[in-house]
Amino acid sequence: MTAAADTVLVVEDEAPMRRFLSAALQSHGFRVVEASTLGTAQRIATEQHPDAILLDLGLPDGDGLTLVRDLRTWSSAPVIVLSARDREDDKVTALDAGADDYLTKPFGTSELLARIRVALRHSRAQRVPDDPVLAVGAIRIDQARHEVNVGERAIHLTPIEYRLLVLLARHPGKVLTHKQLLQDVWGPRTHQTHYLRVHMAALRRKIENDPARPRWITTEPGVGYRLIDR
Amino acid sequence: MISLITVGVATLVGLVAAPFASHADQAMAYLLAILVAALGGRGAGLTAAVLSAAAFDFFFVEPYHTFAVANRSFLITFGVMVAIGIAIGSLVNRIRVAEAESRERELRAKAEELRSTLLSSVSHDLRTPLAVITGMATSLRDSAQGEQREELDTIVGEARRLSNILTNLLSITKVESGAEPRREWVPLDELIGSSLARLEPELAEHPLTLEVADELAHVDPILTEQLLVNLVENAAKHTPPGCAIEVQARRDGSAALIEISDHGPGLPPGPPEQVFEKFFRGRGVKAGGVGLGLTVCKAIATAHKGRIEASMRDGGGAVFRVWFPDDGAPPRLGDAPELLARAS
Repeated sequence: MTAAADTVLVVEDEAPMRRFLSAALQSHGFRVVEASTLGTAQRIATEQHPDAILLDLGLPDGDGLTLVRDLRTWSSAPVIVLSARDREDDKVTALDAGADDYLTKPFGTSELLARIRVALRHSRAQRVPDDPVLAVGAIRIDQARHEVNVGERAIHLTPIEYRLLVLLARHPGKVLTHKQLLQDVWGPRTHQTHYLRVHMAALRRKIENDPARPRWITTEPGVGYRLIDR
Repeated sequence: MISLITVGVATLVGLVAAPFASHADQAMAYLLAILVAALGGRGAGLTAAVLSAAAFDFFFVEPYHTFAVANRSFLITFGVMVAIGIAIGSLVNRIRVAEAESRERELRAKAEELRSTLLSSVSHDLRTPLAVITGMATSLRDSAQGEQREELDTIVGEARRLSNILTNLLSITKVESGAEPRREWVPLDELIGSSLARLEPELAEHPLTLEVADELAHVDPILTEQLLVNLVENAAKHTPPGCAIEVQARRDGSAALIEISDHGPGLPPGPPEQVFEKFFRGRGVKAGGVGLGLTVCKAIATAHKGRIEASMRDGGGAVFRVWFPDDGAPPRLGDAPELLARAS
């Protein structure tokens, strides 16, 4: 991990929160630039090309979503949204607009660093060609042979379950929204989340020891699913 | 009243114009009277129609000054008068009801908007300091040792507890102000799993037994998760460390039934329903909390038109059961849309 040179733009209007984020990131070797308004954030993003962005959605001079949308027209730098538990709709809107992940306030330093590392790893992984074998934790997917193993155990999946698992495994540690998964498997006209939920439940029953206490595929309530990569 | 006036005026007009007006002209005057009166609603329209028919008959239909009718064709005129009175009056009634409904809807939407703005600003103002406290305390904890580390752990734990209380306060405000649950068909596995994931620290000292059927519940996933978090947390809080907690979920007729039981000391003395009362606290201050968790559970179950009950378990311990009735037929999964299944 060459985190030492990575620059993180922290966009947050509350000064104490900004101070915490900057201090935590700096003490773990990141370079930090701060912005307290949408305007400043947009300027810094274009001038300094940060490697990752931490973004509070509620800013005094506008919606943080504007920054996500603007940024996505020219940059693939990962954006992590900071949000509260009861703002699921905001999170989904931000993720569907191109944000990479979110952190639910309150969160600790370890969660913050874990999310940033996952996001940075993803933005780099996009540059290497696709490996036919995907391995996340104990899950191994041989895409050439359509074979899935969890540890030593061979798993037989339906085409939909396979497709869902591959999608999750291509983004280990990252949340994928209901909409992103639905569109990728069923096409753009499907909005019925229960198809997704039911197939995801079936997939869990095949790869998890205890599907109600999943080790690999976690539910992000109101948002989507995440494949754990540890 | 309005019917009397309009019919009176029509009668006067008819009498004054009698030397040169025909029966048809006089009937027209009455129709106008009925129309005007019917703007006051169906009652007024019908009264005006009956009065008009009577007055027309009395003053203008032979034999005059009696209610007898020599020419039967006038019965049709009377009939038309009554029909028009009822028709226009009903129409006016319906428009009024629709108007009242739309005004009420508008008011409700405004109240809803106000409530959600207020909630989100309260939520933001309280959560931001909590996020700073949690964040900074975890930063310090990572570099602290011994006693200091334990103290910082306590700060983090308490901030977490406060954050949970805040979540409960916000949920109950939301549900009690009449916000409708956003129901979806959710597998029971998923509901139980996402709730338990939020309770890792609380469950560290309690073995869990799960029995979850591969079936669906028709619920608001976020509200239901909050309900389950509160129930399991309540069980963990009121039982000694090492005490097992059992979670069962299955279909029960056209409802999903979730059952959470423990082997602790059971319910406090008194009627079981009291545990759902606001600010009720069972066995003393030791257990912590403000006595809102179970109230939130009840509010969420009620919002789903469901039911929650607490009871003593045979052989000791407490059982909580929640029923979430379906609101509509379960989805048939065979009718999935065109499957692209693009094998990669």
